[in-house]
Amino acid sequence: MEDRPDAPDARTEALWRLAQAGDEHAYRQALQALAGRLRAYLRRRLTAQPDAVEDLLQDILLALHLQRGTHAPELPVMNWALSIARYKLIDHWRRHGRRGGDAVDLDSLDEHEQPSVDHEAGLARRDLARLLARLPAAQRRAIELMKLEGLDGAEASARSGVSVSALKVQVHRGLKQLAAWVRKETP
Amino acid sequence: MRTEDLITTLARQAGPAPRAAVRRRLGLALLGGLALALGLGGMQAGSPLPLPTGEPAFWLKLGYTALLAGLALAWLQRLGQPGQAAGPGPRLMALAVLAMAGLGLLSLAALPAGARLGTVWGGDVWACPRNVLGLALPVFALVAWALRGLAPTRLRRAGLAAGLAAGAAGAFAYAFSCPELAPAFVAVWYSASIAVAGLLGALVGPWLLRW
Repeated sequence: MEDRPDAPDARTEALWRLAQAGDEHAYRQALQALAGRLRAYLRRRLTAQPDAVEDLLQDILLALHLQRGTHAPELPVMNWALSIARYKLIDHWRRHGRRGGDAVDLDSLDEHEQPSVDHEAGLARRDLARLLARLPAAQRRAIELMKLEGLDGAEASARSGVSVSALKVQVHRGLKQLAAWVRKETP
Repeated sequence: MRTEDLITTLARQAGPAPRAAVRRRLGLALLGGLALALGLGGMQAGSPLPLPTGEPAFWLKLGYTALLAGLALAWLQRLGQPGQAAGPGPRLMALAVLAMAGLGLLSLAALPAGARLGTVWGGDVWACPRNVLGLALPVFALVAWALRGLAPTRLRRAGLAAGLAAGAAGAFAYAFSCPELAPAFVAVWYSASIAVAGLLGALVGPWLLRW
């Protein structure tokens, strides 16, 4: 089954609208719903490189987050997300080839040699935490305060002595830098 | 890192989506580029020429290029938003070019046969594409920069639209110092210059606009 019934999409749609208006809880749920659909989308198209799915998915989720201002409110959010996923997938193919450099024909392998895809783990080969450590101190600090510790703007500002708007800029720049590194490192 | 953790991290303290800024960004870039092109065009022309504001053909030239720039901008706005359909922009641009060609032909028909070729050819044909493309360049740089901040997913098309918008803006700016008024000249050389700008944009788009 490629397409699920409409109901989950209507729920994603409603969550996304709340998320765009600033509801953090709805945003997390909307991203989870989108990630599920996108993972299925990528898995069907990356059968030769199952290991690349989770890396590319995280790359796409970063892009969705950074570009969420470009979602036209009159469009279904899934159209928007899939357009970006398609773009990132083609970009991935362009850089790594459709089958991957070290791809082996799956049909030539025995059952026990087949690559296993852990559907639940969602673990990427690349370690974002390690990339985070490479960021300039100001950007890393802003991300740690607002994204990892979850402080709101005022608290983070009081803790760091940096203005709220400057912190937001640092978070955005940091995430953009991470996305750029991720793009380069995606195997 | 687990995807689940990444999602949690992204959502935390995310705030509302920065929507209004996105919509304004391209328009501001095009307007800024236009102002720059007008300034450069004025500097190049030296002393300000007396504008032939009494001539309808002068206003036709301005209106034609402004219309094309506006339509290309509308197309660009949609190309910067993933999943959007192209909208009426490209078709209306084609219609405008055809209408201008029709006007040019009509105006030629009114001339004596011997004068027609000279009217199309104008005084210095190559000055037109040279100036239009030269003035389009800074506009293109600004528009491409703005577009890179959006999320174009069809880079060749986005490059084409950006080139056409920049070309039309460059043509608009050049219209103030271009001595040619004949609709036939505008229909051929202005249109061709804008088309070349679009093709150049399409050529560099996939390379320049990647994100």
